[in-house]
Amino acid sequence: MLFERRKAAFEGAVDAYYDDLYRYAFWLCRNQWQAEDVVQEALSRAWRGWSGLREARALKSWLFTIVHHEFVRAVKRVRVASLESEVEDVASDLPTDPSSAIELRRALRILPEASRQALLLQVLGGFSCAEIGAMLGIREGAVMTRLTRARQALRRNLEPDEFGAEANQS
Amino acid sequence: MNCLELRRMAILEPRQLDEVAFNHAEHCGACRDFLARTLQFESELIGALRVQVPAGAKERAVGAAIAPAAARAPRWIAIAAGFLLAVALGLAIAWPRNDPMALAGIDFVVYEEAQAILDAKPVDPEALQRVVAQLGIALPEQLGELRYVGPCPFAGTIAQHVVAKTAMGKVTLLLLPDRPLATRAVATARGLEAVITPAGRGSVAIIAGSPHNVERTEMLLKSS
Repeated sequence: MLFERRKAAFEGAVDAYYDDLYRYAFWLCRNQWQAEDVVQEALSRAWRGWSGLREARALKSWLFTIVHHEFVRAVKRVRVASLESEVEDVASDLPTDPSSAIELRRALRILPEASRQALLLQVLGGFSCAEIGAMLGIREGAVMTRLTRARQALRRNLEPDEFGAEANQS
Repeated sequence: MNCLELRRMAILEPRQLDEVAFNHAEHCGACRDFLARTLQFESELIGALRVQVPAGAKERAVGAAIAPAAARAPRWIAIAAGFLLAVALGLAIAWPRNDPMALAGIDFVVYEEAQAILDAKPVDPEALQRVVAQLGIALPEQLGELRYVGPCPFAGTIAQHVVAKTAMGKVTLLLLPDRPLATRAVATARGLEAVITPAGRGSVAIIAGSPHNVERTEMLLKSS
């Protein structure tokens, strides 16, 4: 009975957050199979620690943090970079201009790791700067810097002329 | 809010822009264009990041997360269940079950004894002594007062039927010289206790109202 209740709550959480967790893992690993493995392992850990979860509000950030830790563990085990191959080829869940999506994904791929992580947590996870800071163990100000740099770098890569003009204006 | 503040905010958290920022953009053409491009870029960014999730990945992940845990969780349950099963089996083995022959002894006392006494033939003390000797038992005085002794059919053979009045109540003995028995057997039914115990080349059924009386009688019979 207790097991069933716990299982139902866990399945509900996975149902709500799996897609974003997968996408987060995908952009960390930049590989579909590796991302699936990372999320699967993260969810196994989450299930094992489920009874220790006290704050339902913290559930989402808890799951993202586990995925992040699992990614770090996976990097130590395998050379993730060696598996990168398909970032540009993966279909989007939203209707997008394919050429701009490909360009953007290329730009995301070469984004510095720290900036990319903060951006992923903000765009995919919808977390605030303070929450991202808590998850990555950095100050809120540092998160703001990373986010600003990430977007500037992406736009610089995609719209060098336009962005240069805007940057000059601002 | 000035233009610089709006642009910083738009680059930092474009989805968190407040009313003040939009009010500024309404009155500032350059910021309005900047904001439009920023929101357009943000929309493209979201589109690029929202890669399709492989079909069935969620189900696979949940299955993999819960299944081993479910298998692990019952590990202690399995141990407990195994223990309980072992106890149950032990109890089932150790629990005294009604032996058919001992149960027949009880049924005899309940349903046939009275009629057997009524139909009794005259006592043949020699036959009784012969059977007692054959079984290697004794009928000592401590057993109590023998109220009835007589042959009677029981379980396909002729038993020496003995009724004794003991200090603890009535005891019925069925001496079965032709019924060998490998092990002692017991039964409890209808408020009576019965034991059939091997004796010589035959056996003896002891039926009484209490286990204590049965045990005492058994001990006295074998005291010879």
